[in-house]
Amino acid sequence: MEISNIQMLKRFKSLAFAALTLSFVAFSNLVSAQGEGLFKAKCATCHMTHKNSTGPKLAGVRAKWAAGGAKEGSIYQWVNNWQTAAANDPYAAEVSKWSPTAMSAFPDLKKEDIDAIMDWVDAQPDPATAGATAGGAAGTDAAATTAEPLEEENNSWIWIIMGVIFVVIIMAVGGVRRQLKIATSDNEEEAEKMTYGEELRALAWKYRLQVGLVSLVVVISIVVALFQSLYSINIMEGYQPSQPIAFPHAAHAGINGIDCKYCHNTVTKSKSASIPSVNVCMNCHKQIDGEGKPFAGEIKKIYAAAGWDKAGMKYTGKTKPIVWNKVHVLPEHVYFNHSQHVVVGGLDCKQCHGDMTQMTETVKVQPVEDLNKIEGNIQLTRKTLTMGWCIECHGKKDVAIGNGKNAYYDEIHRRLKKDPKLYAQYLNDDGKVTVNELGGWECAKCHY
Amino acid sequence: MEMTKKYWKGIDELNQTPEFIKHKEQEFPNQQSVEDFLADENLAESSTARRDFLKFLGFSVAAATLAACEAPVTKVVPYAVKPENVTPGMPTWYASTYYDGASYASIMVKTREGRPIFIKGNKDFGFTKGGTNPQIIASVLGLYDSERLADPQANGNKSSWATVDAAISKAISGAKKVTLLSNTVISPSIKRAIAEMSVKLNGEGGSKFEHIQYDAVSYAGMREANLSNFGARIIPSYDFSKAKTIVSVGADFLSTWLLPTEFAVQYGTRRNPEGDWMSKHFQFESVLSVTGSNADVRGMIKPSEEAAVLSYIIAALQGKSAAAGSWKAAADKAVAALKKSKKESVVVAGSNHIGVQQLANQLNNILGTYGTTIDLANSINLHQSEDAKALKLAADVAAGKGPEVLIMMGVNPVYSLPNGAEFAKGLKSIKTSVAISSYADETASLCTYICPDHHQLENWTDHEAKAGEYAVGQPTIRPLHNTASALESLLVWNGAASRGGQDSAVAYDYIKATFAALSPAGDFAYLTHNSCIEKPVAPAAFTYTAAPIKDLPKANGTEVVFYQKPAIGNGALANNPWLQELPDPITKVTWDNYITMNPVEMKGKYATTYDQEHGLNLAKVTVNGKSVTLPVYPLPGQAPGTIGIALGYGRGANGEKIGKAAYQTKEYGGHATQENGQPTPIGANVFGLLSAAATISYEASATVSPVEGTYPIAATQIHHTVMGRDSIVRETTLSIFKNREKDAYNEGHKLQKLDKHGNHVEAPVSEFDLWAAHPVEKIGHRWGISIDLSSCIGCGSCLVACQSENNVPVVGKDEVRRGREMHWLRIDRYFASDEEAAVGAKKDKETFSYDNAEIAALNPSVVHMPLMCHHCNHAPCETVCPVAATTHSNEGLNQMAYNRCIGTRYCANNCPYKVRRFNWFNYPSYKKFTEVNPAQDDLGRMVLNPDVTVRTRGVMEKCSLCVQRIQATKLVAKKEARVIADGEFATACSDACPTNAIVVGDWNDLKSMIREKSEGVRAYQALEEVGVKPNVWYQVKVRNEENSLLDHIQQVAEAHH
Repeated sequence: MEISNIQMLKRFKSLAFAALTLSFVAFSNLVSAQGEGLFKAKCATCHMTHKNSTGPKLAGVRAKWAAGGAKEGSIYQWVNNWQTAAANDPYAAEVSKWSPTAMSAFPDLKKEDIDAIMDWVDAQPDPATAGATAGGAAGTDAAATTAEPLEEENNSWIWIIMGVIFVVIIMAVGGVRRQLKIATSDNEEEAEKMTYGEELRALAWKYRLQVGLVSLVVVISIVVALFQSLYSINIMEGYQPSQPIAFPHAAHAGINGIDCKYCHNTVTKSKSASIPSVNVCMNCHKQIDGEGKPFAGEIKKIYAAAGWDKAGMKYTGKTKPIVWNKVHVLPEHVYFNHSQHVVVGGLDCKQCHGDMTQMTETVKVQPVEDLNKIEGNIQLTRKTLTMGWCIECHGKKDVAIGNGKNAYYDEIHRRLKKDPKLYAQYLNDDGKVTVNELGGWECAKCHY
Repeated sequence: MEMTKKYWKGIDELNQTPEFIKHKEQEFPNQQSVEDFLADENLAESSTARRDFLKFLGFSVAAATLAACEAPVTKVVPYAVKPENVTPGMPTWYASTYYDGASYASIMVKTREGRPIFIKGNKDFGFTKGGTNPQIIASVLGLYDSERLADPQANGNKSSWATVDAAISKAISGAKKVTLLSNTVISPSIKRAIAEMSVKLNGEGGSKFEHIQYDAVSYAGMREANLSNFGARIIPSYDFSKAKTIVSVGADFLSTWLLPTEFAVQYGTRRNPEGDWMSKHFQFESVLSVTGSNADVRGMIKPSEEAAVLSYIIAALQGKSAAAGSWKAAADKAVAALKKSKKESVVVAGSNHIGVQQLANQLNNILGTYGTTIDLANSINLHQSEDAKALKLAADVAAGKGPEVLIMMGVNPVYSLPNGAEFAKGLKSIKTSVAISSYADETASLCTYICPDHHQLENWTDHEAKAGEYAVGQPTIRPLHNTASALESLLVWNGAASRGGQDSAVAYDYIKATFAALSPAGDFAYLTHNSCIEKPVAPAAFTYTAAPIKDLPKANGTEVVFYQKPAIGNGALANNPWLQELPDPITKVTWDNYITMNPVEMKGKYATTYDQEHGLNLAKVTVNGKSVTLPVYPLPGQAPGTIGIALGYGRGANGEKIGKAAYQTKEYGGHATQENGQPTPIGANVFGLLSAAATISYEASATVSPVEGTYPIAATQIHHTVMGRDSIVRETTLSIFKNREKDAYNEGHKLQKLDKHGNHVEAPVSEFDLWAAHPVEKIGHRWGISIDLSSCIGCGSCLVACQSENNVPVVGKDEVRRGREMHWLRIDRYFASDEEAAVGAKKDKETFSYDNAEIAALNPSVVHMPLMCHHCNHAPCETVCPVAATTHSNEGLNQMAYNRCIGTRYCANNCPYKVRRFNWFNYPSYKKFTEVNPAQDDLGRMVLNPDVTVRTRGVMEKCSLCVQRIQATKLVAKKEARVIADGEFATACSDACPTNAIVVGDWNDLKSMIREKSEGVRAYQALEEVGVKPNVWYQVKVRNEENSLLDHIQQVAEAHH
């Protein structure tokens, strides 16, 4: 519930909603704070305000019970211990059949507490109606998160057209000039003799110094450009393929603060961080269906993959894996192990992947300049995902050896001390033992 | 079965067309001089001029460059719902059990993302104690064979289980006689299912249903002999680790006889001269086997002399005398050793003649080995072939009097019966014939129905290989095809179960029930975790009673022995390219079958040398009117007057779909074809030459006559002896090792240097350095290997394990002939020569002839020497690489960066050990390798290890010391913040070694095994004098023999210092 509320607040800043919230805050600030806190602490695991989840929705529940003919105060008894209430009140007994999942008992909640919760819950607007009224406003905002697969816009055609126009103009002007020259010339025959080519050659000869210099510059620039383009082959920086589901990392890792390792949970165990399987998504999205929101369609794709029957709240068993487009692609002759870097090296994900909490679009390979802006990152110069980038970091990153925290490195330290000269050499250049000095630049570290 | 096979290069040769005869002598037809070629006027008019060619070249380069600019979009598909025990990128290991009707072992299966990719022995559980053989390791490849049947077949067409089951059930209930012909059933569950079937069909005392067990290679003689001596058809357990003297008469117990996976491990524990005691091994045999090559004393006998050898030893032990042959000296030594070790001995005989086995029993009884090295109570359940019953059935079927329903399970009688051809004809007249088989093989393809069984790695199985052990095999992958467990099929046909589809639990439930009924009942989860549990064995109630000796082998003239090769065995796995390309441990021949003959006997009749250009001569072997024509291979140690031919070849003579690698291939790919258009099998099937009296006999009298023509053969080693090179192989005798200083048998190489006074002094090679040492001595790790030549038995398991772990391509016969096999690890086999009676002899012109040293002795002793990259700390390959593609790591590894390699091959030329292999072709796609290389097949590719690069054409490759495993081991230790335990890191070869001859580890760990081994008195480094400082150590081979000449030489050498 906490998740959906915050999301709601941030995402759908409709005026109506803001006004409602403000007015609410104005007259029941205290109660609300207490109610909201209790709701989040005790109820939100299973209940949502306006939607059924593990437990039924709570908005207007007191009124519902009263209308249904429940005994006075029965609802409070229910919250303290539903079994007592069910035994005393036939309505409560009926309610207990709502779901086979039994509700936890909350004997420490007083009547005032429960009222505070219910007051707060009832004061919450229904997101379905709120979303409808503020649809226009929210739409623009959400468009960014449901980003269309962003492709680099190609405007080279403008240059081509402009180039063609320039050439036409030059030729036209040249033609006019020539006609004029012929017209003004006394000796018509002489002028006729010279073809365009001869004229051009004569002109070039006349200004040979300038032409020579310009040609030299052009040739050199072409060569330089060629080499640069060759060097850029297979540079992955900025690579951002479209994805079958427009997944916003900013919403998950940023706004909701979900730890990267929650979804990419093999990152500490295996060489691959792994794209989460759909059953991980379903841990949250069983409840968060985004109904009425612009991204509901994206969440539906998860349901289709997981085989989740939303109406029946059950799995159909027909699963279909999602085919993602791989963003960070290492060549096949490279062995890279995530757990080595995350667990042993203690690197943060952002060192290589950038600040995913700000990443509203689909994932892209961050340019090294962007990575360098992130606080705490090792500053590197080579292009991201190149071998130069890897070994530059291996040359800078220190390995904490001999600090008694990792017996493996303590042993390495003990052995290294036997060769004091080498150890001193390691320390003297930069005051630390780098990955490189322990073999991090050796071919068979990554290639086998 | 008449075999008149003749080898020919093509239809032309076969038909001897005039063109062929004309061109026969010309290697390059239509030879044209360069002048003629250039003078050809048409050449100038040819459509592609030189300039055009350059243009095309330029265009291709530009196009390729441009194409490389855009990286292709890579897809990534995570699990929809991730199974709990799978972590993408991490291997999952399963304990399981292997049994294919002949080999048995407790195994560990490595799976990656649900695909089994590697098999090794289970060292923690099971009586095989980690022992495996090449076939078991290679069996993982069979799972991905695309010619394995994917659906049940009816009358040769794809069918459905429902249809097939209904038809078979109906046929069974309506038949008067139903016979189940299976290989040895050791599964308690299948036995139970068969018993239920028998009860249902036979009722009380009926004879409608009969179950006959029949193996391609029979041990019936042994069981019958034990019946006569102990009153039960049993095969006892043998414990070679308790035997101080081992006498084997024709039993290749380290490689193919009875239960080699267990015996090799036991044997290995007692071949360490540094241990409490070292066993003394006597071998009497005809064909030089793996076991014979490890014997301390080997006597050459004809198969008909097996009984005489045993009788002679019995008589000698009883103080009597008996007739002896040329083997007397060896037999006398055996008698002396047996007299000393008495009940701590073991005598085994390989013969399938009841009489020979009775004599072995008698000898064991005299020695008192029953109860010490031989355990009658914990009997072996493998090999229960009932020869008499099976032969009677075969005769009945051949005569058209077979049962109405014949179910064949795990057998291939058309191929393996002596009268297979007649059986095949009779099989067609059987109303309903059913084959439970993974392939439409020789037998199955003739059957009405084929019900494909799961591959072992897809199947729930249970086993009782010995009375004292219950084991299960668990599936490691969901069945790839629409196949069904054999157990389930039997239950379904008996009406006891219904089909469970792809995720069937029928077999699982049934096995669980079988296990639950076991007393005392155990925990099934515990059982599957360990793959096996020990069962209490009732104490033996067997006493030896003398029985009249019957059925002794008789022979005259040349005797032929039909033996099994370690890789191909009985032929069931002949379609496995890893096994076909595994060089035979003794002959080093790949992809072929041949006649083995002692080179001494070949002189004047057959060529005794062969190489790339020169093949072997052919000979025709005739036994009882049936004959085969095969090349004659010169095998030193082959008993004079005998020849050997391996069983298991000539599979798929009628082009049955049994796997692409089971057939000969042409030079540029595709199968070689026979006259009838069917692919040509590899070698010849000699099961047809077997004869049967009381039991099937694996030897016969034969006539051998040379046949015109030669046959090219692909051997990975064509030299036989080590030519007295002391620095490659070192050996000594146990007495020298025990009583003399290290210098006597393992003298380090010394060079001269000047001391500070300017005098010449000798110093060990290690003191000389051409350049500064790599800093691997103290810091970090230094990985090393120690190989004990004493305990290495040369079985070849390490080689196949390496191939499986490191994605080593299969190259096929033609490429092996060109010396382009890709194995990262080879096992060099050296025969001793009479000229260098002992390694280490000082040689001079008067006393030594290099020509003679090339010739192996008549009955040579043998050394097996596994050789892989030595990871030299002063590696000569590294200094010559122009692009620094091969470099040294500070952990002592010689690293190979394939992506940097430009294929100059300087490194291979500079390698003193010749262990670098050049990748000549694009093996995963070039058409030449389609038939042999599993990586050319979408299914076959699944066996590749994802942690190891599949190398491309034009790069050099070699042993990496399983660097992927080093890195993985280090990472696990780092993540768990602990030091690497000794023994934690194992290479594929050391993992596979049944005798633990290969020890790997961190040399910088002062307490490690490798450090201890490298500093031991037996440690030496091959070609030490070259000064490359390898990280591989060998341990001097110590033979438990008396060798006065070697003793003399080594003592003189020691005295010299």
